[in-house]
Amino acid sequence: MADPLIALVLLGLLLLCLAAGLWVALSLGAVALVALLTFSNAPAGLVLATTFWGHSHSWALTALPLFILMGEILLRSRLSNDMFSGLAPWLGRAPGRLLHVNVFGCAIFAAVSGSSAATAATIGRMSVPELTKRGYPQSLILGTLAGSATLGLLIPPSIILIVYGVATEQSIARLFIAGVLPGVMLITLFAGYVAVRAWMNPELIPQEAKQFSFVERIKASRNLIPVALLIIGVIGSIYTGLASPTDAAALGVVLATLLAWLSGGFSWKLFMDALLSATRTSCMIAFILLGAAYLSVAMGFTGLPRNLATWIAEMNLSAPMLLFALTIFFIILGCFLDGISVVVLTTSIIMPMIAAVGIDPLWFGIYLVIVVEMSQITPPVGFNLFVIQGMTGINILEVAKAAFPFFLLLLVGVGLIAVFPQIVTYLPELMSR
Amino acid sequence: MRRFLNATYKAAGMLSAFLILTICLLISAQIVLNGVGRLMPGLLPSTIPSYADFAGFMLAGATFLAMAYTLRSGGHIRVNLVVQRLSPRAVILTEFLALAVASVFVGYALYFCGALVLESLHYGDVSNGIIPVPLWLPQSAMTFGMGLLLVALLHTLVELVTTGSPVLSTPDEV
Amino acid sequence: DAWDMPTPYGDSTFHTQNIAQFADDVREATNGDLNITLHTAGSLIPHAEIKNAVRSRQVPAGEFFLSRLSNEDLAYGIDSQPLVATSYDEAKKLWDAQKPVVTELLAEQGLVPLFSVPWPAQGLYTNGEIATVADLNGLRFRAYNAALEEFATLAGAAPVQVEASNIPQAFSTGQVQAMITSPSTGVNSTAWDFVTHYSPINAWVPKNIVVVNQRVFDKLSDDTKAAVLAAAATAETRGWEMSAAEADAKTAELAANGITVYEPSAALVEGLQGIGTKMLDNWKGNASDAALSILTTYQQ
Ligand code: NA
Ligand code: NA
Repeated sequence: MADPLIALVLLGLLLLCLAAGLWVALSLGAVALVALLTFSNAPAGLVLATTFWGHSHSWALTALPLFILMGEILLRSRLSNDMFSGLAPWLGRAPGRLLHVNVFGCAIFAAVSGSSAATAATIGRMSVPELTKRGYPQSLILGTLAGSATLGLLIPPSIILIVYGVATEQSIARLFIAGVLPGVMLITLFAGYVAVRAWMNPELIPQEAKQFSFVERIKASRNLIPVALLIIGVIGSIYTGLASPTDAAALGVVLATLLAWLSGGFSWKLFMDALLSATRTSCMIAFILLGAAYLSVAMGFTGLPRNLATWIAEMNLSAPMLLFALTIFFIILGCFLDGISVVVLTTSIIMPMIAAVGIDPLWFGIYLVIVVEMSQITPPVGFNLFVIQGMTGINILEVAKAAFPFFLLLLVGVGLIAVFPQIVTYLPELMSR
Repeated sequence: MRRFLNATYKAAGMLSAFLILTICLLISAQIVLNGVGRLMPGLLPSTIPSYADFAGFMLAGATFLAMAYTLRSGGHIRVNLVVQRLSPRAVILTEFLALAVASVFVGYALYFCGALVLESLHYGDVSNGIIPVPLWLPQSAMTFGMGLLLVALLHTLVELVTTGSPVLSTPDEV
Repeated sequence: DAWDMPTPYGDSTFHTQNIAQFADDVREATNGDLNITLHTAGSLIPHAEIKNAVRSRQVPAGEFFLSRLSNEDLAYGIDSQPLVATSYDEAKKLWDAQKPVVTELLAEQGLVPLFSVPWPAQGLYTNGEIATVADLNGLRFRAYNAALEEFATLAGAAPVQVEASNIPQAFSTGQVQAMITSPSTGVNSTAWDFVTHYSPINAWVPKNIVVVNQRVFDKLSDDTKAAVLAAAATAETRGWEMSAAEADAKTAELAANGITVYEPSAALVEGLQGIGTKMLDNWKGNASDAALSILTTYQQ
């Protein structure tokens, strides 16, 4: 069978499984199994066991359940409530008000965690119930959360930049630095979008109950101290070398528990609730990651993404046309595979193409991350969508609809770094001197 | 029987939660050692040998042991947008099909996870870190978890057939 | 036949380039009868699982870091034992002694070694010059395996576990202050951002190995077998040359980026040798007869 036909068959099968209500992890696994049995000579069962085993005990992944647990603890303590009452007086006049908590909360948390799923789970756990209670529109709550959480990938530390750096032998330190300004650019775009929406539709955003004087604001800010301590503690432990980025997640749990207990109202029972809830959520995400890994391996054996990339390579495009073609290619692939798989499956073919047309591999790494960020919020396979569905019970298609403007904003971000590559290269070049 | 099974899922889930807590404590202990090493070098050993390996193995255990518990609490997500629009009888039919396909896939995975354990035992495979850990140990946790997930799927399938109503849905909590 | 072959390292690594050339050679020599597709950078199978994946015929062949297996038998890890072999000539002699033993051990798992290529020798990265072993005292020292942990402890340093990807951050935050690794890893992690001095102490010369599944290999036609073995022999020779060239080029690159490259002093070498001897004594205490025979052959 020809490659495009195989791709269509597998795609149809995936959509069918998902539509029939087969669990997401199992839909990915089942399609991978069919692909391996039908279109490759690999022993599908042995490969399945190896993949499940090999991808379930990775050290980098251990941060995920811990960050989720931290979010669950914060949700059940006074801390998340306090954070919003501390921020409300300050954001009361800003267009979009507390929606910016999602954007900036994700941005700050992104400096702690390297994964976008953990960012969505931790921030969303606190912000979604609080913002819903205060009457903010669902689509903007979910959209800002899904979109901003993708910053976890771009703002250092970043798992995907490590994967890219290792696969292409780029300096990981330089990649991390290169991600900073594009991260700020995306934060600005996201916050700007929220502000514009609020300006255009003032009735969309609920009024804050009262106006605060400056003194009242300062007083209310005391509520922010515990959360600030938590953030400073976690980020500080990374930047003083006390903890690696993965270690820092454990510190986050310990600090969150301590602060929750000190601020009162936290109990052993609430802690157990948080722990069991975190266990379920991280099991759900890990199972989908395993299904996605199996699909990625199946794609490696069938060679589909590789052949598609080769097909693009054979067009001998100019640099701008190549980027255009690759962006479309990655967006399509990103709908069906998780971002990291897209990177590892195609770098072997893509990197020589990049080198041939003279694109800076450092710049390309950041470009790739932003494109992969998009894949986190495109259905049917988008991890931020899964996390948010798991958290709120709202269907991934609805979440995806809410996140669509942010998909477009990420696309604008790609356009901006393509036109102004200095956004990426300025800081790393400063480092070289 | 039903109560015994439900208790088993819950117990495995608790074990999984315990593993996550242990990972947290293990890493925290390492952070304490890092701190002590800075302030008073030489007072305590500087590392817990292979702590990253142990954390990884416990994570694998936590993931697989919680599979059945998560399934039964509606924690594994699915897309029910389409199914919701079907007639009640069609819902039961698709639910039946989904459970059947899931059982076949998980059964297949279980068989080969078991094969992997036997192979690791046969060759005496160990991890490559500072402390060699026999791989069959964490792999057995994986296999047990997949086995329990299969039991939970079949259990749900039987409940679907006997009660005639879909059992599991995604929780609607916000 | 079509072979899927997983490798752990990225496309720009000289090991990967050498294997790509090997695959081309095989394809050419067999007129396309044996077509090897590389899956680099752990994209198909994670590094830790590659050996076992070849063993159970999930893939016909694969590459991995040989001393990863030293928990299975110390014979696999002799090339990562500090200060046993500290030059390419010694490393070659050690591989000649190690190869028959490793071949026999791998045969127990149904694996056949095709070729093995070393990484550049491991050097010492620090801030400031290290004149004697005493200068290492109290430093936080990166250790990623049991041998390095022992090494650090014997040198009076504090071993700290840091993954390769986290090296720059670990140094810039003071989590570690010294490491031993190849000039390749030094360049890839842009060591000049966080250390000032590099000394090619050539502590050891570790190797990657490419293995094929015995049963898969046996099924090939005699001509194809011969072609694979010939290409493997060529790849081994070429790989060792590439490694030496890499060592020179990467050391020069470290210097060009402002790192002070200095030859180790006689006192430092002597001190390191002392540690090496102690470690080798411990190693001998735990080694199998096969592993010990490598040492006997090598030291003749
Ligand atoms: Na991040
Ligand atoms: Na997607």
